[in-house]
Amino acid sequence: MTQELGKVQLLRCPPGTSFQDEGRKSGANFGIPPAGAMDLKSYQWANHLLQNPPQSVSLEFSQPGLQITFDQQTFISLAGGQAEVFVNEQPIDNPSLICIAPGDRLKIGAFQKGQYFYLCIAGGFITESYLNSGSDFDSVTESASKKTGETLFYKPRPKNLDQKAKVKWNSSWFESPIIEVHPGPDWSLLTQGQQMELKSRTFQLSKNRSRMGIQLEELYANNLPDLPTNPVFPGTVQLTPSGKIIVLMRDAGVTGGYPRILQLTEESISRLAQKKTGDSISFQLI
Amino acid sequence: MRPYYQQINPTFGEWTWNQNPSDQLLSFQLAYLHYLNSHWINEIIEFRQGFTRVSIVWKSPERQDQFIREIEGLELIPVPLTSKVWQVPVCYDPIFGDDLAHLAEEKKISPSKIIELHTTPLYRIHFYGFLPGFFYLNGLDPLLHTPRKRMPGAYVKPGSVALGGSQTGIYPKESPGGWHILGRTPLSLFDRQKQPPVWAKPGERIQFVPIDAQQYHNWKPSQPQFVEQ
Repeated sequence: MTQELGKVQLLRCPPGTSFQDEGRKSGANFGIPPAGAMDLKSYQWANHLLQNPPQSVSLEFSQPGLQITFDQQTFISLAGGQAEVFVNEQPIDNPSLICIAPGDRLKIGAFQKGQYFYLCIAGGFITESYLNSGSDFDSVTESASKKTGETLFYKPRPKNLDQKAKVKWNSSWFESPIIEVHPGPDWSLLTQGQQMELKSRTFQLSKNRSRMGIQLEELYANNLPDLPTNPVFPGTVQLTPSGKIIVLMRDAGVTGGYPRILQLTEESISRLAQKKTGDSISFQLI
Repeated sequence: MRPYYQQINPTFGEWTWNQNPSDQLLSFQLAYLHYLNSHWINEIIEFRQGFTRVSIVWKSPERQDQFIREIEGLELIPVPLTSKVWQVPVCYDPIFGDDLAHLAEEKKISPSKIIELHTTPLYRIHFYGFLPGFFYLNGLDPLLHTPRKRMPGAYVKPGSVALGGSQTGIYPKESPGGWHILGRTPLSLFDRQKQPPVWAKPGERIQFVPIDAQQYHNWKPSQPQFVEQ
């Protein structure tokens, strides 16, 4: 006998809301990007709090205004940035672990800190898996994002969670402007002067940003040659001939033709994801 | 054509060739990819192929260190490239080939000459990248090398056959694009319901075969025919 699934109704779903997990480790040989949570660190933390298995599917959102209802009892955890959170219009002080009763209505208000949020649910959302991941990506999953009016599914009646272990999510780790990097495969094409400048300068995030990549505001003069198209990864920093610096993120194509000057550490990819347009960063070589 | 291994960080490195992309380089690359698959697959999270690199993400720094020690002096025999040629129908009619007339004008040759130059070579598939189902091809006639558009154009339709720089290729899905559109194929390039989701493999070749608008609209199979050549 199959248990009836719990349902989440998306009463209001801001653009860019999608299912994400740790992404795909295979498929690059068909040109399939890894996708996955922009801020992997926060996603993993919320999953851990719910004692979910790795790769449990979460709902990622990056704009305020999400409103959803649940029709069965469950636990949820919100991580990533910090925002006003309401359940049945009551403000929630610590959204790291919320017990949900049938009919509860969750509402996300204004963002206070950060850019990406993860709504994790006990047992994970239930969705079709492709190459061992439920992360949404256009042409790889049924749709690239979620829409208002859609229904999402979850397993009801989760095991009881130890509520005493309730800890509050701390966002100070992403407030540091330091982005740790390794020299990229094409680092040696830069002159020593250019390398020094890259290490000592401060850069601002431009408004040109998406799950594919984040462009920095300042131009960085260079005369690097045209290169053959070669592999890139989330966290690869590309330098274009016009001097634009682009940090590739989770949905970036698996290969690129611009020089790959730096490679962010995994933690720094998550940190950068949480930065807003206008925030300053500086690269620190490790 | 022995590559050298460049360690980028404790768990990431690249086999590097400093030659221009060619059939010969690809046949060496395929040998190195085969070696990775048969000897190191359990130590690797993933690897990716580009024109002149093979990038490897290791499960741990120790595994990469061990790899670096063990590949010292490694020499592999190149894999012979297959004779399989996929015949890809393309309708170069102006209803699809948005930039064909403009390109002809710029190069001071007729649109039909451009079509001839584009359909003559057999293009080698090197790897997939950019978008799911997008293959990178080598072999565009130097006369057709054209800088990318200064401002990437509006959304390009799926199946659009285009060129940019020294490259030519097919957009598998709707995407913003900076290449010059010559025509459109009725084929599907990526189907997530199929295993594998693409019909061609690196090392195989592509030939573009001109069709007219009526043939385009009546085209049935989503997968092309191939010949041995």
